[in-house]
Amino acid sequence: MDFVQNFPAVSILLCLFGGIISSGLRGKTARYVNRGLLLVVTFLSLCTLCYTLESGEAFVYVMGKFPAPWGNEIRAGMLEAFMAFFFCIIMLLSLEGGKKKLVEEVEEEKVFLYYVLIDLLLASLLALVYTNDLFTAYVFVEINTIAACGLIMIRQNGRTIEAAARYMIMSLLGSGLLLLGICMLYDLTGHLLMSNIKDQAAMLYASGQYRIPLLVTIALMSVGLAIKSALFPFHAWLPDAYGYSTVSSAAILSSLVSKGYIFLLIKIIYRVIGFEVFYDSRIIDVLFAFGLMGMIFGSVSAIRENDVRRMIAFSSVAQIGYIYMGIGMGTQAGMAASVFHILSHAATKSLLFIAAIGLTDVSGGSRKFIDLTGGAYRNKWAGVAFTVGSLSMVGVPLFSGFISKLLFAQAAVQNGTKMLPALIVLGISTVLNAIYFMKTVIRIYTPVEDSAYESVTFKNMKLYGLTLICFIVLNVFLGVSSQPIVDLIERGLTVFS
Amino acid sequence: MYYIALSVLFPILTGVYLLVRKEIKNRKSLLIQTGIFLVITTVLGVLALCLSGGGILTPFNLTDRLPILFKVDEISILFAVMTMVIFLCAGFFSFIYMEHEEKEKRYYGFYLIVFGILLALCFAGNLITFYLFFELLTLSSMPLVLHTGSREAIMAGLKYLFYSLSGAYMALFGVYFIERYGNTLTFSTGGVISSQAAADNTGILLWIAFLMLIGFGVKAGMFPMHAWLPAAHPVAPAPASAVLSAVIVKAGVLGMVRAVYYIFGVSFLRGTWVQTAWMVLTLITVFMGSMLAYREPVLKKRLAYSTVSQVSYILFGFSVMDAGSVTGGLLHVLCHGAIKAGLFLCAGALIYKTGKTRVEEFRGAGKEMPVLMWCYTILSLGLIGIPPTGGFISKWYLAEGALSSGLSGFSWIGPTVLLVSALLTAGYLLPLAINGFLPGADYDYGSLKKKEPPLLMVIPILVLTLLSVVMGLFPEPLIHYLSLIVEKIL
Amino acid sequence: MGANLFANYGEAVAMILFGIGFGNLLLQSNLIKKIIGLNIMDTAIYLFLAEKGYISGRVAPIIVDGVQSMEAYINPIPSGLVLTGIVVSVSVSALMLSITVRLYRRYQTLDLDEISTRLKREGL
Repeated sequence: MDFVQNFPAVSILLCLFGGIISSGLRGKTARYVNRGLLLVVTFLSLCTLCYTLESGEAFVYVMGKFPAPWGNEIRAGMLEAFMAFFFCIIMLLSLEGGKKKLVEEVEEEKVFLYYVLIDLLLASLLALVYTNDLFTAYVFVEINTIAACGLIMIRQNGRTIEAAARYMIMSLLGSGLLLLGICMLYDLTGHLLMSNIKDQAAMLYASGQYRIPLLVTIALMSVGLAIKSALFPFHAWLPDAYGYSTVSSAAILSSLVSKGYIFLLIKIIYRVIGFEVFYDSRIIDVLFAFGLMGMIFGSVSAIRENDVRRMIAFSSVAQIGYIYMGIGMGTQAGMAASVFHILSHAATKSLLFIAAIGLTDVSGGSRKFIDLTGGAYRNKWAGVAFTVGSLSMVGVPLFSGFISKLLFAQAAVQNGTKMLPALIVLGISTVLNAIYFMKTVIRIYTPVEDSAYESVTFKNMKLYGLTLICFIVLNVFLGVSSQPIVDLIERGLTVFS
Repeated sequence: MYYIALSVLFPILTGVYLLVRKEIKNRKSLLIQTGIFLVITTVLGVLALCLSGGGILTPFNLTDRLPILFKVDEISILFAVMTMVIFLCAGFFSFIYMEHEEKEKRYYGFYLIVFGILLALCFAGNLITFYLFFELLTLSSMPLVLHTGSREAIMAGLKYLFYSLSGAYMALFGVYFIERYGNTLTFSTGGVISSQAAADNTGILLWIAFLMLIGFGVKAGMFPMHAWLPAAHPVAPAPASAVLSAVIVKAGVLGMVRAVYYIFGVSFLRGTWVQTAWMVLTLITVFMGSMLAYREPVLKKRLAYSTVSQVSYILFGFSVMDAGSVTGGLLHVLCHGAIKAGLFLCAGALIYKTGKTRVEEFRGAGKEMPVLMWCYTILSLGLIGIPPTGGFISKWYLAEGALSSGLSGFSWIGPTVLLVSALLTAGYLLPLAINGFLPGADYDYGSLKKKEPPLLMVIPILVLTLLSVVMGLFPEPLIHYLSLIVEKIL
Repeated sequence: MGANLFANYGEAVAMILFGIGFGNLLLQSNLIKKIIGLNIMDTAIYLFLAEKGYISGRVAPIIVDGVQSMEAYINPIPSGLVLTGIVVSVSVSALMLSITVRLYRRYQTLDLDEISTRLKREGL
């Protein structure tokens, strides 16, 4: 066994231990521990990525001494390693971008808790990405939920606690369904390891036994994860949770936490149920339909919103809809498009949250559009970054959003029955996106005479500015040289099953 | 070949430079800088046209199958020359006109960016490149519309944005489907659809062609997606309106030409319902635009409606797909470019001098500003299509092409509509000239002052007027050149 | 169908309980009732697992008098899963309760909808 194969397990354990150690540290030290962890995990994921790319296949890492049907396993292919790598980068950038805000909004003696939660969140995300065991996945889903809830609540005001309560309730409903699904699947197949379940499920499906229980299981797990990732119509908690928590939390929640669940769903589709079996159940059409509805509804809600943070949050509902639409397409191309959109949306949405906070800060802390007028002149970099994010969301070429739109459309064109609805809704949602994002861009670039608010220059916000630049570069990079990444995703998906 | 990249990048980069640099205190130095940038861009553009000779430049790939690709062909030359002439004229015109407007630096910055993007559109060698710059054109020209920042301007700008984005999305359908059914996305004469795919998927490809026509038609102000144009063009500062109306709408025309003649191919579309629908839409637009212009009292709005109508003359020429009509269409691209830019600059000069906006308020303007008004009159005659101006030649070819096309019905409906619309054009353009020169007996000649606008304003207008007349007096070389293009693409 | 249901009455009861718990968690507006619903829901799943893991007439897989044939023992994994699940649900319930306490201290009510309307009125 190569040394590199230890890395995924090590990075999960490192994060868990980091969280535990941080609980005894002061805020600042906890931050250093967290940044160190992030860098190390990024490096380890990169090594794993290179290793899997070179070997061209995934490897299985046995946790403990018991081999396949009984023990616990980790499985890392290039897609998993790349996801872990990408998640780490986004998390690092989001944390750096929101650092100043965190200091302002969280009581000093509680800052260390924030980093404890972040470490645990990272551990659970990595575990969701890497694990090959369904029940482990469930446990880490719950850890993820608890950590995310803490991230929402760490900034204490009525709204966030209420949002956290709503978030918890929705998440618990989702994980209840997921757990029931896992139990039934265990009942049907007698296994918890994904690859073993898949063999058994394929046999069951081929023999035609237990057709209805299998269908129910698929439905339970899909719906459970859909609820957790805030697919329309299960998004009621989302705008408050993203809108009022501290900005790093909002960025991480929208771009990583919900994506972790979606990634788990993709894993379940490929590695547990089997793509063909999943495709033959009509659940996929349900996901497709709700994805389309989410695309429209999220955008419409965003247009009616008068608060920039909540507007961005509603836009997440629409973007989650895109991802589910791609999954619901039921083709390899659609799935690849969804995975790419996970990346592109993660890069763009966190950029938007971080940029929005820069704009509201120079507008007296108000998030109403009327106060944001001319904000881009007072904080130039935030203005540019917000514009880049908006253009990417609208799907202008050269930015990452265009590529995912293109991939979705190409997938749709190859799909006979779902082509028309997918393309039409893509079109409508593009225009709706343009309405609220461009409205905001025009608003922040409308000059105001003798504004009452201070403006900031690059010198007073070096770190923030650098974060924004990194985000912009990431977005343009995904938009301009997407081919290697798309290739990687496609290879990863073939290795996946 | 790298001149192509230079001529695109230089104006965009200098435009961005103007936007991000600190406010320039000295207005003169800003103007000198802008002037130099404009001239250098033009020189680079000319070099690109002369020296690249069919070479292909691929700076990078969006994805493996979607390269960003530039090349120069005959159509590029035609549109690029028009773009450069009008941008130079309107640019120098705005040096005076923009004196009293705020945020000049921003205006020139976006003006230069739009210039670069338009050149890129002319040089775009495949559909995805064209789409890329088509989107960027919308975004970068929007600040020109928004320039005054009034509520009306913002609403018009948003309207412009949404119409254009919807249109661009429809055009994007083409990218999606052509990538699947075509051999390549690169523009090639005769089309890129493989005959097998064309035979198997005729229905869907026709729909795609139709959607692309509607989509690009948004920019060209074609019915049913024309409503943004009369709102957005007049609220911009006059030189920006000139550019919008004379050049930027032509980007839509260029898109349709590329889609029909270089992607789908004439042989695929000729005789299909798409051609019929296209002709019907253009004729409706020609007539409706003229009618609306006729009823419009505000000068700049009237000119904008006139653009709606005149651009559809061009489109009608292309939709007939006959050698004569296409020649006429191409010629009218140039004529309308020069004339409409000239007319908007005239309107700008009138507004600049008098501060009035409605047509009936310019009584006696011909006595006060004879040179300007003579230019206006000659340009108007050109747009109506009276010899010896270029408009006459182009409309002659349009009508002749339609008559000889052998399309039952349209061969006589088309010319009739064009003729009626020409009468209406006379009806909405000439009253200003008549009132201007012959203000009537009750006009107070006592208070009359000579107030010819400054030279820097008059010269661009004179140049454009001259061009429109020269095109009418010596059309042979141009016609010869155009017929070469037409031979290739038909 | 009916006979099957009767034979597997344990699973049937578990499903009914799951439904009750799910409904309570989703529909009740009182936070404490929601938490009770959550616990009913989780317990129902454990009942389901335990029921599935038990085969009547067999014993726990603990070796008392020498290893017997495989037929003598039940599958221990579901029991392990139940234990893990209980740990998870305890921590989740604790978190929910702490949120409830927070909200109650702030708003003196347990009604989530009322809290929401009050928040909207505050315009926070």
